[in-house]
Amino acid sequence: MKSGVAIAFALVAVLWLGTAISAHHPISAKFDDTKPQTLTGVVTLVDWRNPHVHIYMNVRGDNDADNWAVELESPINLQSSGWTHDSVKAGDAITVTGITARNGSRQLWATKIVMTGTGKEVLHFTPPSPPALLANRPAPRWPDKQPRLGPSAGGAQGYWAFPSSTVLAEATANVPAMDQYGLLKNVADAKLVAPMQPWALALYEYRQKRFLQDDPTYINCKPPGGPRQFQLSYGVQLVEDRDRQRIFVLIGGGNNNYRIIYLDGRGHTGQVGGDDDNPLYYGRAVGKWESDSLVVDTRGFNEDFWFTNGGLPHTEQLKLIEKFTRENFDTLKYEVTVDDPGAYTRPWSSSWTLRWVTGQEMPRHLCQENRP
Amino acid sequence: MRSLIIALAVFAACLTSSTLTSAQEGHPLKGSWLGTWGPAKTHSNDIVLVLDWDGKAITGMINPGTDDAPIKNATLNPDGWVVHFEAAIKDKSGVLNYVFDGKIENLSFHNRTIVGTWKNQRESGQLKISRQ
Repeated sequence: MKSGVAIAFALVAVLWLGTAISAHHPISAKFDDTKPQTLTGVVTLVDWRNPHVHIYMNVRGDNDADNWAVELESPINLQSSGWTHDSVKAGDAITVTGITARNGSRQLWATKIVMTGTGKEVLHFTPPSPPALLANRPAPRWPDKQPRLGPSAGGAQGYWAFPSSTVLAEATANVPAMDQYGLLKNVADAKLVAPMQPWALALYEYRQKRFLQDDPTYINCKPPGGPRQFQLSYGVQLVEDRDRQRIFVLIGGGNNNYRIIYLDGRGHTGQVGGDDDNPLYYGRAVGKWESDSLVVDTRGFNEDFWFTNGGLPHTEQLKLIEKFTRENFDTLKYEVTVDDPGAYTRPWSSSWTLRWVTGQEMPRHLCQENRP
Repeated sequence: MRSLIIALAVFAACLTSSTLTSAQEGHPLKGSWLGTWGPAKTHSNDIVLVLDWDGKAITGMINPGTDDAPIKNATLNPDGWVVHFEAAIKDKSGVLNYVFDGKIENLSFHNRTIVGTWKNQRESGQLKISRQ
């Protein structure tokens, strides 16, 4: 009896702990680039899983071997750079250079891996880059001349990726410097990012000072609602179902999530679909074509996620007006106006472009089981 | 015995899933809060507070139900995340004017807390509530 109860309570503890410590993250949220370290040891396990691959290695300590977790890019990014789960195997002696975890645990973000015996460098991560631009091709169109948001008729499949900006900030002359995850170079510039109310500005600064480690998209695999879905690494696919007057937005970095933009004239409330008008991660989107641009009005968001890289706050009053314009075959312009009187002092806008990636499947990146 | 273990395991799963689903990333005060404000002679030990934010003002209700009381003059100072609100609560002897002052702790947690004090014309005490 006692042992059974003990087991049950142990299960409670494990589940609880798992919730508390799981964290997928921007690199800077977990690792400190001012703390470089080099480790030499023997690989004990290669954990080839989303969202990040980990190599576990034993490193000789003062008295015994310490087991370190060496974190790498996602399987998608490693594979695109020529890695497989056999590139480094258990038993291999390796030397790893990287940066250590902010919390002092035995974790390292690897920037270089060398086979100790041969001196051969085996980690060659090359960030994906957009395909070379071909001749300036016009946007493909449907027979009624409306621009197509996907491939040309009979053409190769593809998707939209490589956003020209991965951070959301008001389009002004004074956009402050940020990294690709939306982390400000100088937190004092936070007020320049968007016209936030005082509480929202303070919360945004708080998130920034914590290096975005509280991001629920990474901690709890929450969906990337709002403009964020167009600023993630793995792109989006816009699937037009003209018979049913809707567009499906498939999100490469969104855990197999999709969003529906209705074009059939329905309103934002009373939609049949079982959601009962409750707030949603992707809100309720209704759109219409205005000349060559698709204009989408989305509202009905919940507050359970971050709608931007970098952690700009929002409330349930958030309303987005998004405008999609395929400027040519390879370029999609995305414009967004953020109207959230709960968090901002006035509506504000931003825009960026995405590139057409032709002939390729969109990657499907899964934030798996809240894994770190 | 086995059923007890299963029940505890299910309870554990529920605890975990509720933690995951109760995220609230908007205004830090919005939501339902549960905690204590006793012991005291003028009210019970437990308190439920429901707070909302409409973009301009913080509104809310203490102990929604039969003896509820709306809050007034609620403020949140982001400099230190200092919370203040007041409420007029009737009892047999008349109206007691409560003043609450506290501070949000563990701001990034789903179940963040407000820790502070309360006072009325007769008593004063400690307040500790956690967001549900």
